[in-house]
Amino acid sequence: MKFNTKLYLGFGSKLFLMLLFMGIVIICLKDLNGSMDFVQKRYEYVKFATMIRNETSNLDRRLVNLVFSETDENSQQMIQSIRESEIRATEAVNNLGEILYIEKVQELHEKLKLLHKEYIYIENEVIRLVQAGKKEEASKLMLSNALITRLQLFETIDEMNKVQEQLMADSFTRFQNTYSLSEKVINMMLIGFLIIGIFIILWIMKSIIRRLEQVTTVITSVDPCNVDHLPRIKVTTKDQIGEIAYAFNNMAQALEVQAQNEKTLKQSMLEKSWLDEKLSEITMIYQGVSELETLVKLFINKITTIVGAEFAVFYIKEDDKNCLKKLVAYADREQEVGSNSIKFGEGLVGQCAIEKRSISLTNVPNNYIKITSGLGYASPNSIILLPVEFEGEVIAVLELASFEDFSAIQRHLLEQVTKNLGTTLNSIKGQMKVKQLLEESQTLTEELQAQSEELMSQQEELKSTNEELEQQYKESEKKTKELKNIKEELEEKAREVALSSQYKSEFLANMSHELRTPLNSLLILASLLSENKENNLTKDQIEFANTIYSSGQDLLELINDILDLSKVESGKMEIYCEKVDLKDIARFSERNFLPLAEKKGLKFNIQFDNDVPDSIYTDKQRLQQILKNLLSNAFKFTGEGRVILHIRYAKKEVYTKYSNLNYTNAILAISVKDTGIGIPKEKQSIIFDAFKQADGTTSRNFGGTGLGLSICREMAHLLGGFIEIESEEGKGSIFTLYLPVYDQSAKEQLFLSGKEVATGYEETYQANESTCEIDYDEKIENEMEERSLEKNVLPQDNKVLIVDDDMRNVFALTTALESNGINTLFAENGKEGINVLMENPDINIVLMDIMMPDMDGYEAIRAIREIPEYDSLPIIALTAKAMKNDRAKCLDVGASDYISKPVNLDKLLSLIQVWMYK
Amino acid sequence: MAQRFDEKNEGEIKELEELEIDLLLEGIYRYYGYDFRNYTRPFIRRRIWHRINAEKLNGVLALQEKVLYQPSTMNKLFSDFSIHVTEMFRDPTFFKTFRRKIVPLLKDYPVIRIWHAGCSTGEEVYSMAILLYEEGLYDKTRIYATDLNENFLQIAKEGLLSIDRMKLYTKNYIEAGGTRSFSEYYTCRDKKVTFDSFLGKNIVFAQHNLATDESFNEFHLIICRNVMIYFNKTLQNRVHQLFYESLSPNGFLGLGKKEHIQFTIHNKCYEEIDKDERLYRKKR
Repeated sequence: MKFNTKLYLGFGSKLFLMLLFMGIVIICLKDLNGSMDFVQKRYEYVKFATMIRNETSNLDRRLVNLVFSETDENSQQMIQSIRESEIRATEAVNNLGEILYIEKVQELHEKLKLLHKEYIYIENEVIRLVQAGKKEEASKLMLSNALITRLQLFETIDEMNKVQEQLMADSFTRFQNTYSLSEKVINMMLIGFLIIGIFIILWIMKSIIRRLEQVTTVITSVDPCNVDHLPRIKVTTKDQIGEIAYAFNNMAQALEVQAQNEKTLKQSMLEKSWLDEKLSEITMIYQGVSELETLVKLFINKITTIVGAEFAVFYIKEDDKNCLKKLVAYADREQEVGSNSIKFGEGLVGQCAIEKRSISLTNVPNNYIKITSGLGYASPNSIILLPVEFEGEVIAVLELASFEDFSAIQRHLLEQVTKNLGTTLNSIKGQMKVKQLLEESQTLTEELQAQSEELMSQQEELKSTNEELEQQYKESEKKTKELKNIKEELEEKAREVALSSQYKSEFLANMSHELRTPLNSLLILASLLSENKENNLTKDQIEFANTIYSSGQDLLELINDILDLSKVESGKMEIYCEKVDLKDIARFSERNFLPLAEKKGLKFNIQFDNDVPDSIYTDKQRLQQILKNLLSNAFKFTGEGRVILHIRYAKKEVYTKYSNLNYTNAILAISVKDTGIGIPKEKQSIIFDAFKQADGTTSRNFGGTGLGLSICREMAHLLGGFIEIESEEGKGSIFTLYLPVYDQSAKEQLFLSGKEVATGYEETYQANESTCEIDYDEKIENEMEERSLEKNVLPQDNKVLIVDDDMRNVFALTTALESNGINTLFAENGKEGINVLMENPDINIVLMDIMMPDMDGYEAIRAIREIPEYDSLPIIALTAKAMKNDRAKCLDVGASDYISKPVNLDKLLSLIQVWMYK
Repeated sequence: MAQRFDEKNEGEIKELEELEIDLLLEGIYRYYGYDFRNYTRPFIRRRIWHRINAEKLNGVLALQEKVLYQPSTMNKLFSDFSIHVTEMFRDPTFFKTFRRKIVPLLKDYPVIRIWHAGCSTGEEVYSMAILLYEEGLYDKTRIYATDLNENFLQIAKEGLLSIDRMKLYTKNYIEAGGTRSFSEYYTCRDKKVTFDSFLGKNIVFAQHNLATDESFNEFHLIICRNVMIYFNKTLQNRVHQLFYESLSPNGFLGLGKKEHIQFTIHNKCYEEIDKDERLYRKKR
């Protein structure tokens, strides 16, 4: 039977018995209670019966009183109380009726009711009679009828009581019986139930305790120290205890498994902690290492000791090549351990790299490799190859050799370590790369800096070259300018000179004219005098008059020459071109000079070349004048021999020699050749100058004004030609007039060439003048240089604005600056300063005092800086304050520089130069 | 020239050019004593070609001949090799940082010896002099300013400045934290700016070749800015070794803005005073 069923059954039956017992008790009590009800009714009945008896008695007594009372005073009151008793009696009768249920009694009650009604009637009759005053009748009635009725009534009541009492006695007996029966039943049942209950309890207790004891015995037999093997409970029943046993067995099973697991776990924990320890040891060596080789060396030394290997080689993948290179070896015998370079897939190392998994060899053949020490050598037993990966790529391979086999944990460690190593290697590679890149970038930065400096330096060179060039350019410009100035000055001078020369010539022309008039009169008068028509003059006097005349004549000639010359020079001489027959010219010469030749005993020849044209276009009069001059000279300076006039075409050299005159035409040469005294070479150039003769004494010997050749040369120029001289002292001279042969309409050409000549003439003149001019300039420059040695030379056209309210300071500065050639302006305060600045945009630099009334220096500088065209104007703040802040403030508001007061003039001048430098 | 190279491909020409440059530099070193062999090759190549073009020659060999037989050409090449790019208070922040971080440390020294290696025309040396003067340290300071090129040293000795750069210098002076007026230190006469002589009184200008010469004193501060950028690693390491030997314990080293000590063998011998301005201090 199941444990719970047993419990349900036990406790359920006990509950049932209890309920049964309680039901019986309740029934008994109910029975007792029914008897009690009867007693209650009985009591009420007695109460009402007694009340009827009493009230009827009262009624009767009061009626008697009423009937027999002497006075009527209280009758009314009495009637009243009679009525009340009447009501109470009636009420009691009625109430009694309601509680009666026994038939016999009810019959009696009906009788009673009737009797009562009769009595009430009599009573009412009595009262009516009393009221009517018939007391006697009333009393009679009273004594007869009333008494009888009353007695009957009482009898009935008693009868009723008798019946009641009988009933009472019956029911009491019944009650007695019921009670004793109940008592017996209850007692019996109590005993029975008790016995049953004890049996049930005993039964349940026994069965439960026995089973529990079995379980407890097994459980207490468990040894806490040895949970590997636990006792089991034999399961016999399928009840709860059986389940407990079963559960215990399960638990024991689980505990055993758990213990087993724990053991395994502990083992693995130990291994793990060893792994972790080794791993962290290895990781520790990575710290602070930045070189790949160092790292690998440290690593290989460490790992080899940890796993107890005797040999180790580390191959690393070369960048961008499927090739492994030996980086580090442990217990290396130089070249002998491991190959130096292995391709991917080559040998086990290469295979390991390709397969990306470790390869291990055990029972390695004896001659595979030898591990040596100082004492001997032996072959390893086991070899392991491990790939070092990073992000799925093999970046290195580690090979180890050992006498012992590698344990699983060692392998595990190796795998773990190589896994980590991949990341570390990569990060170190990265670091190295970064370092290398940084280094490269540093090198590049330096290179860049070097290049930039180089560029700056080249720029500097270029700048200085440029400056030199600019300097040269400036100088040449300056020279050009100077030259231009000089030229202009010269032109001006030339103009002046020309003008003055013109004035001179005009003056001369006028004067000559003015002179000629009185001279003519003088000549005429002298001639008249010498004729001595009246014969009143002595011979001497006539001689004087002749002398006056001949001197006058000389004078006149001179004046004429001067007139001619001045005419030519003042440009007043006019040319009239016409067709001139050369034969005419020859005849003119012959006519004029043949007599003279004969007179001086000289030969005079006129020669014509065959190819000479018959006529040319020129000014005949001037040509004649030139020839006349040349011929008269020739005759004048020739004592003996001949004079030849030779007309021909010029030789070829002449064309080339004077090609600058740009003669396109043929040139006619008219030479006057004499065998006179000749002209020395050095004098040949001056004989054409006015009033000059080869020898200062010449005029004294030969007379003449010395103007002739000058005039000739000018005239030849006018005619577009020139005169050349060939002479040897003592042998004679050849004066040759070269004249261009113009066409018929050559008038203009002639005029033009005349002009050109004139210009050429001017230029020569100017060229001579300019030499003087340059000398003058040099002198000035020298002076300036001298001055510069004494004082600072400041740039030209400089203008300094001094803004200061301290007049002494202004005066001192102004004086100092002016004495250094600086123009100064001044203003008393900032506002005024700005005004002055606006009026004088050519101000180069401003010296600004800071503490001023109205508008102080700071404000003024700020205001100036706001004007766009002055945003870079040098402004130097003059500050009496030495505080750094004040200076900073100056610069903040826009001052270019500052200088402290009192101002050191030398410093100020230096500063001004620096800031004015452009 | 093209004909000469017809038979060679580009790589071979490059190789030959390298060889020629090696020979030229070797020749210069053996004959004139100037060692440019460890200058950075690209720089040397560019300068050599610059000279070749300027001389209208057709290659390195021709230049070699000319350089060896005509000292004047050597002088020109020498000038080509010595780049002088400098200015007053160049990289003003360097001087500012120097003033802020190093000057307070120098104040306690009874004497301050400074070596300014590669001083060029002396602008930066005078800048340092001005700085120390303003900080009241100049009287106990001696600056040894050296350069390879004696022409530069001559200019430096005269204390000459070009007027056209004075505005820049004034700006630099201010940015470098100058406490006075820059104009207090110079005089301008006839467009020539010269430093006031008091600045030069504690400066020694002398020729020194970083590539061949040795240490000549112990210094509290060595400044060598934008010099080693022309040197290759070998020479840089040599110079660093030289500086390391010449610095007193806890001495300071100032390098150029683009130079770095990180990749030299002396990386670990110095602590950084200011990373950006390349100011270091020798570890004791």
